[in-house]
Amino acid sequence: MKHRQVTEELQERAILYAAGALDENERREYARHLNEDDCDVCRSEVLESEAAAQSLLMSLPVQTPSESVKKRLLAQAEALSNRPAPTPERKGSFFGLAGWLAAAALVVLLVVTFSSNSTLRSQVAALNSRVVELENQAGAQRTLLASLTSDRIINLAGQGTTPNARARIFWDENARRWRVYVSGLPQAASARSYQLWFVPKTGKPVSAQVFNTNPDGSAQMEIAVPSEVTALAAAAVTDEPAGGRPQPTGGFVLLGNTE
Amino acid sequence: MAARDARSLEAFYDRHNRIAFTLILRIVKVREDAEDVLTDVFWQVWQQAGRYDTSRGKPAAWLLTIARTRAIDALRSSGRRGTETELNTEIAPEAAERKEDPFVLAGIKQSVSKCLDALPETQRTALEMAYFDGMSHTEIAEALKQPLGTMKDRIRTGMMHLRKCLKPYEAAL
Repeated sequence: MKHRQVTEELQERAILYAAGALDENERREYARHLNEDDCDVCRSEVLESEAAAQSLLMSLPVQTPSESVKKRLLAQAEALSNRPAPTPERKGSFFGLAGWLAAAALVVLLVVTFSSNSTLRSQVAALNSRVVELENQAGAQRTLLASLTSDRIINLAGQGTTPNARARIFWDENARRWRVYVSGLPQAASARSYQLWFVPKTGKPVSAQVFNTNPDGSAQMEIAVPSEVTALAAAAVTDEPAGGRPQPTGGFVLLGNTE
Repeated sequence: MAARDARSLEAFYDRHNRIAFTLILRIVKVREDAEDVLTDVFWQVWQQAGRYDTSRGKPAAWLLTIARTRAIDALRSSGRRGTETELNTEIAPEAAERKEDPFVLAGIKQSVSKCLDALPETQRTALEMAYFDGMSHTEIAEALKQPLGTMKDRIRTGMMHLRKCLKPYEAAL
């Protein structure tokens, strides 16, 4: 319900929301009110209060992150920017594919109905082949974009003897896929491997992938999340004998919570 | 940004990274964790720039709202709600205030500080526990052993004081 004018009660609720002081259920309900009811009266109160709350920052000494944050961020962005078919073009690409499909379907229909000409048959076969090829390409692009634009990210921090290691997992929950990027992790020792694990909230860890890093300490992999893996608590990498083990036996080298 | 151009992201990052990092570090308290959250925040902003609605606040305010939410999430998932002492030991000594900080350039910091200084300690404590430590009014009331109504009143009165005092600087904030 949209409000027409601010009252003391509405003002208090907006202030508590902006300060982050509402209980979880209240916060969720109020956020729904702002977004779904599109209530300008409450939104205005929230914006004014948020600006006031943000002034609390000015009592703090300004902090500067390390340069590596910017490098990491821009490397990710560059990688995504250089991929074909970013969001606006994806539509074009998709509709282009739809056009291909429609054209191919029309040709097929015309050919089947009106002609038995062998030349046309071979053209139809070529078009069908092209349609399959485009479908495969589009599917791969959608998979890649879905994982790269996933809202869920798991950050894994180095543990024990590998404190400088880092990993980031882009989790496409709909497609049940992980795209994993590892950095700063020295190559596994002779006759050893690294093993990535799904760590469920209940039950034993499930092996996700056995891998080793490149000489520069990096690794990339794309992994299907098995259907039996639900309600994950964490992702972890352990140091294991070459080829991995059914259950973790070695120490953690990377660990990150999912929430 | 909305076109997801990496150079726009760089410009936006250069302009706002310190204020966002100051907020995130104050909340999560551990520098490495704060840098991970900072990366996620700018990544999210870049991904969602197309959905940014100018009627819903300035870009910096939008960024800080996302930064606070992500930092509180990280704080909760780590299961640690640190103290001021922990924070002080985590802040690198070289990370001193910078002259080019936009708040300083706007010449408003001193005035805003006066507004904050004029805030009664009880109200300021309640506001900071909510904003920086992610505590609800119920949790704050329990922690400070005060009635819930008193705590809501402190947060509301404190915020209204800041809103009124900061009104002249609204455009610069």
